[in-house]
Formats: sequence, structure tokens, C-alpha cells
Amino acid sequence: MSLVLLAAAAKGPLDTWSPTLFGLFALLLPLTGLVIILAFTIDSRRLSQAIAVLFTLGAVLCALLMLAIELAHPQHLERVGTYLQFFTGQSGAASEFSLQWGVLADPLASVVLVMVALVSLFVQLYALSFIRREDDPIRFFGLVLFTTFAMTGVVLSVTLFEMLIFLGLVTLSSYLLIGYWWQREGSGSASLLAFGISAFGDVALLVATAYLYFRFTDLNFQGLANLYANGYLNGRVGANGLFLIALLVLIAAAAKSALFPLHVWLPRSAQAPAPAAALIHSAGAALCGVYLIARMYALFHASPRALALLAVVGGLTALLGALFALFQDNLKRAIAYTTMAELGLMVLGLGISAYGAAVFEAFTQAWPKALLFLAAGVIIRELRTERMGEMGGLWRRMPFASWMLLIAVAAAAGVPPLSTFWSKDAILSKALAISSVPAVVVGTAVTLIGAIALARIFCLVSTGETARRRRFEPERIRDASGRMAFAMVLFAIGSVVGGAIRVFRGHIDPIAFVSFPGVVLANSHLLAAGVTAVAAVAGVAIGWLIYGPRLVPVTALQPLRPSLTEGLFVDQAYGQGVRLGVLPLSRGLGWVDRRVVDGALDLVADSLAFASRPRRWLGELHTRQLAIGVVAAVLALALVSIVLTGRLIGTT
Amino acid sequence: MTTLLAVLEATTTQPTTINIPTLLLSGMVWVPALGAVGLLFFPSRTDAHRDRIRSFVLAMTALVLGLGVVMWYGFRDQTGTFAYEETRGWLSSLGSTYHLGVDGVSMPLLLLSAFLFVFAALASTRVREQTKAFFILLLVLETGVNGALCSLDYLLFFLFWQLQAVPMFLLVARFGGVQRMAAAWKLLAIDLLASAALLLAILILYFKSPTRTFDIATLHDVTLPAGTALLLTWLFFIAFAARMPVVPLHLGFIDGQAQASLPVAMILTGVVVKLGGYGIIRVDVGEFQTAFHKIVGVVVVIAVVTVLWGAMAAIAQDDLRRLIGYVVMSHMGLVLLAAASAAPVAINGAVLMMLADGLSAALLVLVAVAVVERTGTASIRAMGGLAARMTRGAILAVLTALAAAGFPGLLGFLATLMIAIGAYPTHRLATPLALVGVLIVAGVMVWTVQRIFFGPLPEGEARVRDLGTLELGTGVGLFALIALLGVLPAILMDAINFSVITLLSRGGA
Repeated sequence: MSLVLLAAAAKGPLDTWSPTLFGLFALLLPLTGLVIILAFTIDSRRLSQAIAVLFTLGAVLCALLMLAIELAHPQHLERVGTYLQFFTGQSGAASEFSLQWGVLADPLASVVLVMVALVSLFVQLYALSFIRREDDPIRFFGLVLFTTFAMTGVVLSVTLFEMLIFLGLVTLSSYLLIGYWWQREGSGSASLLAFGISAFGDVALLVATAYLYFRFTDLNFQGLANLYANGYLNGRVGANGLFLIALLVLIAAAAKSALFPLHVWLPRSAQAPAPAAALIHSAGAALCGVYLIARMYALFHASPRALALLAVVGGLTALLGALFALFQDNLKRAIAYTTMAELGLMVLGLGISAYGAAVFEAFTQAWPKALLFLAAGVIIRELRTERMGEMGGLWRRMPFASWMLLIAVAAAAGVPPLSTFWSKDAILSKALAISSVPAVVVGTAVTLIGAIALARIFCLVSTGETARRRRFEPERIRDASGRMAFAMVLFAIGSVVGGAIRVFRGHIDPIAFVSFPGVVLANSHLLAAGVTAVAAVAGVAIGWLIYGPRLVPVTALQPLRPSLTEGLFVDQAYGQGVRLGVLPLSRGLGWVDRRVVDGALDLVADSLAFASRPRRWLGELHTRQLAIGVVAAVLALALVSIVLTGRLIGTT
Repeated sequence: MTTLLAVLEATTTQPTTINIPTLLLSGMVWVPALGAVGLLFFPSRTDAHRDRIRSFVLAMTALVLGLGVVMWYGFRDQTGTFAYEETRGWLSSLGSTYHLGVDGVSMPLLLLSAFLFVFAALASTRVREQTKAFFILLLVLETGVNGALCSLDYLLFFLFWQLQAVPMFLLVARFGGVQRMAAAWKLLAIDLLASAALLLAILILYFKSPTRTFDIATLHDVTLPAGTALLLTWLFFIAFAARMPVVPLHLGFIDGQAQASLPVAMILTGVVVKLGGYGIIRVDVGEFQTAFHKIVGVVVVIAVVTVLWGAMAAIAQDDLRRLIGYVVMSHMGLVLLAAASAAPVAINGAVLMMLADGLSAALLVLVAVAVVERTGTASIRAMGGLAARMTRGAILAVLTALAAAGFPGLLGFLATLMIAIGAYPTHRLATPLALVGVLIVAGVMVWTVQRIFFGPLPEGEARVRDLGTLELGTGVGLFALIALLGVLPAILMDAINFSVITLLSRGGA
């Protein structure tokens, strides 16, 4: 009754409550939960799990309230605190050095926040059963809470400085999640790779921060957007400078969101336990990059070259991801490659100014992607293999998991009316509206190939006969049940209705809701909807026809196969680069230290001793003394060249 | 006479310093030395005796730390001037005075020194032989370090600087690892080179000035010919850079800290090398600004080479102890880069970096020595999977790696960010290059922890003990400081910043 009254009041709670306050709660609740677990309940598994779930539930409620308030009043609000501030004694805008942090609330943040909190909650429900007692569940729930905290922080960041901090925490959290099963072979290198690439992105963003501060003495995102809206962005930096910052931000985003050629960590991240992989791929590190681009969109929108670069990188990533997924035999890696395709599609959407549509794509693909990983987790646990070649026939043995897999595959492929259809349609509409032929072609091709790859996953896992292996009895397979099944159903609901919000256009249009000033909304093209639907359905059908009966692909394509299975050897190229370039260089420096620098010291000592002895030294001049002369000459030359280069640099 | 006037002026403009607070600074410098003298009368025959010696030293260092904390409370509201100034006549025929004082640049380092000596005293449980000599040397070293940090007179500064060299040499040479003698000689050789340059510079300055004085503030106002100023800048730079260390003078430090015992290595990496950075900021940047600006190109090249050299050499380094040396060297390169930029934000960052690196280096040494002791080898390749045996050790090692990598939320990150932001406008190529070094160091730290603690456990390490309570407590204490300052840097920043601005705005030859 009171609720009705509240709703009927002229000024309801949604009009007066502060969304940033709920944002702050959503940020602090997971952290509080983590601290409580670490401080008090580290010895009790059940209590820790309950605390994790409850605190995440609280964060979900706060996020939903923030979304509701933003839906009622879409506006940008901030709650800012000063982290560090002092006078620098310089003149002008640089007279004060100030670093701020805080919480913001706007439509973009509220949508992504809801995603993060919900996915985290559902994943924890699944993990209640999935992470067994011997797998150290307290550590897992603590890590998930930490990841949630870090992601929430990224989403609610007010300044680039704060974003850097939380992106660093995300880097750490994915490192720890991917290396969760640290005893297993390959988990070490996978987590290290994820850390390295992610940290590379963080450092690129650090350089961008230094440059931005140099030009604008302001790291606030809204300040940047205001500058752009008032047309001052181009005045402070030239077109090249703008492109440079955009490029650095794009590198940071590419490292986080697995854009080509920094994508290698994503397939390997499938090493993580299934719920952790679901979190990383749908609402974790993989989302950060896209969010970063969306948050700093003013920079990209101000520079046409940067937008074009976004579109190209996104399109390339999407195509390669879909292709790699088509040839990957490892179930979790194949799913990971489909994530790469979707991430590429989002960035392509951002590149063609389909701002709302790209963010909507991130929202719609989160549910089926998480569901895919969760289903894969159950299946892999029962079959005790990750190779799809050793699977099959689960339609009869694990009907529930197969149904879930089917829903996820259809929703991720974009079969109407399931979730990603609506967002893919919106991106394609924009591409048609700006009549960009490459974007239309790439978008359609990605939908088609992605659908084939997804259908292949389903066919190889669920149709046909269960492969017989030694010491493996298909009769003993049990289907998912209990809390795992419950969590999967929740994600399945999201996969089915996640995109259909668009049907209620007029009340809530998710694409118009998350908007960027100056970006024109494209009308829905009937043609776009048709093409998306046909591509998705045709893709699924083709996949079904080829992989259902396990047809062998055309022999002409066979030579391509190994290179695509190995992801065009990008991974190996990095490995070789480190092995042939970095390590020898590093060993070389060590050698120089031991032989040359240290040797020079010894030589100096020896020669001093030699010189102090009274003797006819000319007759005793040996190779050693000649070497002293050479080393001394080289050192002197090096010193002179350093001085000269220093002069050069010093004068510029 | 003019000296006296200047000194009088300096003391009269300092209304807060009356007698008792003045003694605080002298206390911080001389209490360890008095302790060392007192230690002479302690017997050291049995284990109980040795424990008593250690407790006494712990009390002495804790007393110094207490004085430091008290000083800090009186210090917070300073606006860039020297506090706790103390001037006494001493060698007045030479023109030297006993002139001490701290500002926002030296005060945090003084506190760092006080903290680390307490931790070093805590960590010296393993010194079983020649205990008394060890602790006497350690206390003398503390006097040397603290004295150098607050001397405002060149001669006094030089004497305190020399007071560090001998204890350091003996501590490495007598209490270190297998190759300690060679390392100690190397350390001493480079230190002597630095001292020679320092002495030469101070004497030239002394004889070039119209008044025969060693007082830093007085000499600041002396106008020197440009050539002389340049020469002095070079000499001071060489002296301090050798201590920092920079390429190619780094091997004494790398080997010295690799061979030193745990407490000595903590002090060497945590405090002693920071004095090099302090000297460059205090003397080169503060006193010879114009001349330093002329050699800034060279300094930047050296800084970037040091950052990248340290980072790259750390990658393939198999000796865990040496690896730490390279990481610290890489961080000190960043300090040098900040000094070369002479931008307030960057210099602030450099002070923070020295604090952050001082604490994290001590932490690194602590974990490394614990691991090396337990496994009996310093070779990283021979280790692995220790997390199964050392859960506490693994957690502390991960935290340590994060602290040393400058992880966001910790002090090192803020320092790196400030150096990047401050140095970028003047060095647009060097700063991104140096940040590549930061990235490599972060990668190396994580990779190293992974190689040591994760993966399969090799044969023969099945009986490794976990960290003891004392080791864990020391480590957690150090990390807590890094985290606290990372979240609340504002408690230090104002004091540091005002002094940095004063330092930079005074100009100089």
C-alpha cells in the first residue's frame, strides 16, 4: 500500500534519491564483504559464501535503483572527492595539481553497473555448487567480490586517474582468476600473459594520462566531454595530438577487450574456472576496454581518423574472432573466440558512431556468453575433457545442459527474437544509415560466421554419439541440477528477454537511453533487421548442416586449417619475440654487466696494481693492457656520444 | 661575520624553534652513535647476552623513530622553510658550523630511515657471530645516514657521508654471503670515487666563494662563473649518481646488496641508495639549477638507460638477490628522470618514489632472503611451487611484488603517475620510454613470484618451513605503510610540496 502511495506521489523517491549515493553503495558493498570475509569468516566456508552472495545482492539492488533513477531522469551526476591536491607554484592552469576520485551516475554507467552486479551475483550462485570444497571456495568468492569491486570502480570512475587505479585492480583480478587453479599446467603462463598484456594497456593509458594532463590539466571525463561539446577540444591539441591520445586509449582498450593483435590472452583465459571465465568474458576485464572507449568517446568523436581506426580494428577483430572460433577444437577457447568476435563488433559499432547500439550489444551478449561458459563448465566436468572432438551425444545424456547450450547459442548467434539479434540489428541499421559498405559487409559476415561457429559448438557437443574413450563411462554422466541449474536458468532468461526490451520502444529505448551528444540515432531499418535475421538463421542452419552430420570440410580449405586453429600464430609470434628478442637482450645486458662493466673495474684495479710496480712496463705490454686501452677508448667514446645526444635532447 | 649574520637571520626568522625541539634533530642523529658507544660495555658471550644487545639496539632505533614521529607532528604545518634548525659553532676557523635542519624533502626520508632501521634491527635475529660489532656498525651507519639527511653545511654533510662508507663496507665484508669480500671492495671502490668527487666539489666551492664558509644556504647566494658552476654540477652529479646507482656505476650496489645479510641489504637498498637521489635533488636541482639545466640532456639519457637497463637486466637474471638490485636501480632511474625535469609535480613524485621504493625494496629483500635461506639457493630456476609449503610466504610475496611493481592504490603507483605527469612536458620521448621500463619491472615482479611460488614443487623442497611470525609481522608492517601512504598521500604531500616549491623557486647558479 505504501509502495503505491510512494509511486503516486507527485515527487516520488526516484525523483529525490541520489543515484550517486547508490553508486557509492554498489561500489563499497563488495569491498565490505571482502573485508568481512578476510577479517572474520576466513575459516567458515558457508558463512563466507553467504556473505559474498548477500553483499553482491545488495550491490545488485543499489545498481537497479540507480538504473531506475536514471531511467526516470537521465542525467549526469557526480560525487567527487579530492585524493590529492597541492599548489605547484607554476602559473596558469597548471598552478594546482589535483587528483580526484568519486562516483558518477549517468545512463551508460547505470546500464553497465547493473550488468556487472547481476552477472557477478548469478555467477556466485553457480559457483556455490561448482567450486568444490577441495578447490578452496573461500578464495574463489573473495576473488569474485574483488573483481566485482574493481569492475564497479571502473564503471563509476569520475576521472582518468581513478579509472587507472581500478583498471589496475581489474588487471590483478583477472590475473588471479585465470591463475585460480595454479597447480594445473598452463595456468601460470595463461595468467601471466593476461597480466602482461593488461598491464601493457594500463601503461599505455598512463602515457595517455600524462599527455592529457599536459594539454588540458584536467583528467575529469565530464570536463573532457564538456570541452568537446563546446568545441574547445581541437583548439587545445592539434589533430595529430588528438589522434595520438585516441590511439593510446585504444591500445589500453585493446589490451583489456582483446582487440587484434592484443587478443591472445582471451582464449587462454578460458583456463579459469567456468564461473570465473563467465565473469571475465561477460562483465569483467573484457568489458573494460569497450567501456573505456565509450567513456572517453569525446576523444574519438573529435577525431575522424580515430573513429575510422576504431572501425577497422573492431571489424578485423570481429572477423578473426569468428573465424578462429570456427576452427577451434577446445570448447572453452571456441567460446572465448566468439567473445572476441562480439567485442570486435562492439568496437566496430563505436567506430561507426553507433554508440547506444554498441553499449546495448555489450548488454545483450553478456547473458548468452556467461550461459555458454557455465554450460561448458558442467559439460567439461562431466566429460573430463575440453576437446570437442571427444564430446557428442549430450542431447540425450544431459538434456538440461544441452537446452541451455542451445538457448545460449541461438541468443549469441542473433536468432530473432533472442537477445543479441536486437543489438546486431541496431549496429547494422547505423551502418546502413551512414551507407558504409564495408561496415555493412563486415557486420553481416561476422553475424553469419559467428552463427556457424556457435552452431558448430552445439552440434559437436550435443548431437551425434558420445565418443568412447578409455576409462570413461558415458553412462555415469549426470546432468546439471540444483543451484548450478538455477543460475543457468537465470542467465537463460536474460538471453531470451535481454534484447527484447527494445520492443517496448516509446517507454524505454535502450539505445536512445545511452546516448552521446552529437551522435545521431539511426532509425531502425527493416532491411537491417531482415539481413541480421537471415544471416543468423542461415548461419545456424549451415552450421547444423555441416557439423550435425560431422561433414569433413572441403579439402581446398585444409591448408588454412592449422593456421586458423592456432589463431594465425599471433600467440607464437609473441612467444618467439620474447624468446628471440627480449630474453637474449636481457642476457646480453647481464653479460655486459659481468664482463664489461665489472671487467672494467677489475681492469682498473689490475692496471693500478700493475702501474704501481716499478718495472719496464713497455716491454711487458700484453693483450690485457691493450684491452684496457680499448675499453677505456670505448667508454670515452660512449661518454662523448651520450653527452652529444644529451645536448641534442636538452636543446629541444 | 657575514656568515654569522646570515645564520642569525636564518634563526631569527624561525620563531618555532626553541631549545628543546632543536635537540630532537640532534637526538635523531646522535642517539644511535651514543647507543653504539654504550654497546661497547655490553658483554656478548652467551645467547642471552646477544639477545640483550639486540633488544638494546631495537630500543635505540625505536627511540630514534619515536623522536622522528614527534618531530613529524611539529613539522606538518611547515611552509617550505627548514624546521628544527640548529646552529652551533664548530670548526669556526674553517668556516664550518654544526648546522642541522630538515625540510619537506629530507623529513620523509629521515622518517623512512628511522622506520627501516627499526625493521632492520627486528630482522637481525640471525646474526650469531660478532653480534656486538655488527650492531655497533649498524648504529654508526644510522648516525651517518640521519646526519647526512639533515646537514645544512657541506663539510658536515661530507663527514656524515663518509661515516656511512666504512660501516657499510665492514657490514658487507664481514656479515655477507660467500662472495662478500669482492662485493664489499666493489662497493667501497665506487663509494670512494663518489666521495672523491664530492670532496673535490665541496673544496672548489669553498675556495671559490668570497667568504670562507661551508654553509649551504650562504653558498647558494654566491655567484660563480658559469664554467665553475658547470664543473661543480658535474662533480656533485657523479658523486650522487654513483650512490643512486646509475649505469655504469651500478655494480657495486647490485653485488653489495646481493651479498649483504638481510638487515644490511634492507638498509642498503632501502635508505642508503636513496641518499643519492636526495643529494641530486638537494644540491644539483636546488643549488645549481641553471648549470644543472645545461647538463639535463645527459642526465635524462642516463636516467632512461638506467630505468631500461635495470628492467631489462632483471628479466633474465637468475639470481633472486641480484634481481632485486636491478629493480631498485630501475626505480632510482625514475627518480633521476624526475630530478632532470625540475618540475614541481615530478620532484614531489620523486620524493614519494624514494619513499615507496625504500619500503618496497626492504620488503623485497625480506621475502627474498627468507626464500633463499629456506631453499638454500638463490637461483630462481631451481625454485618453484613453494606456495604449497609457504602459504604466508606466497601471500606476502604477491603483496611485495605488487608494491614493487607500483600497483595502483599503492604508493609506488602515485609516485610513477606524478613523475610521468610532471616529466612529460619537458621530456616527451624519455618519459614514455621510462614507463616502458616500469611495465617491464611489473611483469618481471609478477613472473618471478610465479616462478618461485607456483607451479610444481621440485624435489628436495618438500620440507621448507613457512614464514615465521616475526618475518610476517615485519613484512605486513612494511606493506601496511605502503598501502596507507598510497591511499592517504595527502598526509605527507603538503609538507613535501612546499619545500619542493621553495627549493625550485630559489634558482641558483
